[in-house]
Amino acid sequence: MDFPSTQFVPSRMMGTYEPIHQIGMWGENFKSIGNPSISASVIVEVDNKLENESETASHEMPVPSCKHDQEASKPFDKIQRRLAQNREAARKSRLRKKAYVQQLESSRLKLIQLEKELEQAREQQGLYIGGGLEAGHLGFSGVVNPGIAAFEMEYKHWMQVQNRQLGELRTALNAQISDIELRIVVENGMSHYFELFRMKSTVAKADVFYVMSGTWKTSAERFFSWIGGFRPSELLKVLVAQLDPLTDQQIFEVCNLKQSCQQAEDALSQGMEKLQETVSATLAAGQLGQGTYFPQVAMAMEKLEALVCFVNQADHLRQETLQQMSHILTTRQAARGLLALGEYIQRLQDLSTLWATHPREPA
Amino acid sequence: MQEAIPYKSYSTTRATAVGSRSPLLNFLGGGGGVVANGSESSIRKLVEENAVVVFGRRGCCMCHVVMRLLLGHGANPVVCEVEEGKEEAAIGELSRIGGGGGGDGGGGGGIQLPAVFVGGKMFGGLDRVMSTHISGELVPVLKDAGALWL
Repeated sequence: MDFPSTQFVPSRMMGTYEPIHQIGMWGENFKSIGNPSISASVIVEVDNKLENESETASHEMPVPSCKHDQEASKPFDKIQRRLAQNREAARKSRLRKKAYVQQLESSRLKLIQLEKELEQAREQQGLYIGGGLEAGHLGFSGVVNPGIAAFEMEYKHWMQVQNRQLGELRTALNAQISDIELRIVVENGMSHYFELFRMKSTVAKADVFYVMSGTWKTSAERFFSWIGGFRPSELLKVLVAQLDPLTDQQIFEVCNLKQSCQQAEDALSQGMEKLQETVSATLAAGQLGQGTYFPQVAMAMEKLEALVCFVNQADHLRQETLQQMSHILTTRQAARGLLALGEYIQRLQDLSTLWATHPREPA
Repeated sequence: MQEAIPYKSYSTTRATAVGSRSPLLNFLGGGGGVVANGSESSIRKLVEENAVVVFGRRGCCMCHVVMRLLLGHGANPVVCEVEEGKEEAAIGELSRIGGGGGGDGGGGGGIQLPAVFVGGKMFGGLDRVMSTHISGELVPVLKDAGALWL
């Protein structure tokens, strides 16, 4: 490269002056940070860079026709300034990228941690619940309500006893056992249902929505759910069809029972509607949209306590209906009735299982 | 033909909100009389003068259920709404009146609201109304007290 000496010297001179000037600036910067040792290494780096850049700059520099020093140094100055700004911007960009990557790394670690915790929580849940039951009751905290956990274990056991008792009923009806013995089997069956109502009452105090949602039942059973269980009138319909022949007196009494049942269900349903209206009105009291709402929510919670009463009354109705049926029927009919009821529920449960495993067309 | 007892009693009790209900509403609603105070004399009077009285908290949904059941049978129960804060006094008075009256009144000593009085005597809560309704015992009891005309 051949450069006119006049231009070469100033640029060289400028080249040597600039870094000192720049380093001076940066030295100040680093001194304010309080780490003079860094500035030394940076200065060396910068110096090298500057030398490289000043050489390239001098290649690209337009040859000024005017030989005046000031004019010759102006564009050079500007370019040097711009180069310095670029370097600064590049440095800042590198620092930002570093910070971003560090943030990503820590988020990734946090995610791994959360996944691990979730896994553990799922395993714990598996200990409480026998397979097949849903996890819809973890709530906000992710902790299983002990009342619910206890109920689910008891209910699993209850179903096992139920199936065993149905087997006993089948055997008893086919065998020629005395009415007294059959009566005992019937009484056991009835008591077993009453036991379920007691269990439900206990867990309703722990979480009434759990009972209302029917989470503990299979999906097909849930389809028929009314205030946390079956509609007594519907079960009566199923039963009566299985109990032919009935005497005229029995038919009359069963009809009355069906009607009373229906009336009681209607009364409870209307009460539920009123409860919905009350809770809704309480929640919506005052102005919606202001942001402060705790008093309304607290009051609505009080009203919602009545839901526990409804669940208890619905189960009470189921129990009374069962009792009344056992009074109307003979022992043998009652035994057949219990068996029919049990098998009907089993069919519903099988329907749920079949539905779950039945292959469906992709959406 | 029996006299319409519930309506006659309104003029003598210190009912505060009764006047606001139209006569037609009373007829359709079936004795939706509102007595806002739980004073002893008014409670006693209600129980003595009416075939069926239901005592319950204001806006109680269980009370609504009891009413539906009784109305379904054609009875015309008088409702006494117990004010908040006056519950204890009301329950105390009801216990005094009802002590020794029918069945499993309050379940172990304490009367609970809603409480139903039939024929001047304590009948029970929603539990008892429900059981007797299903078993068929409710209608004869109501008839005996003169709550039903048919």
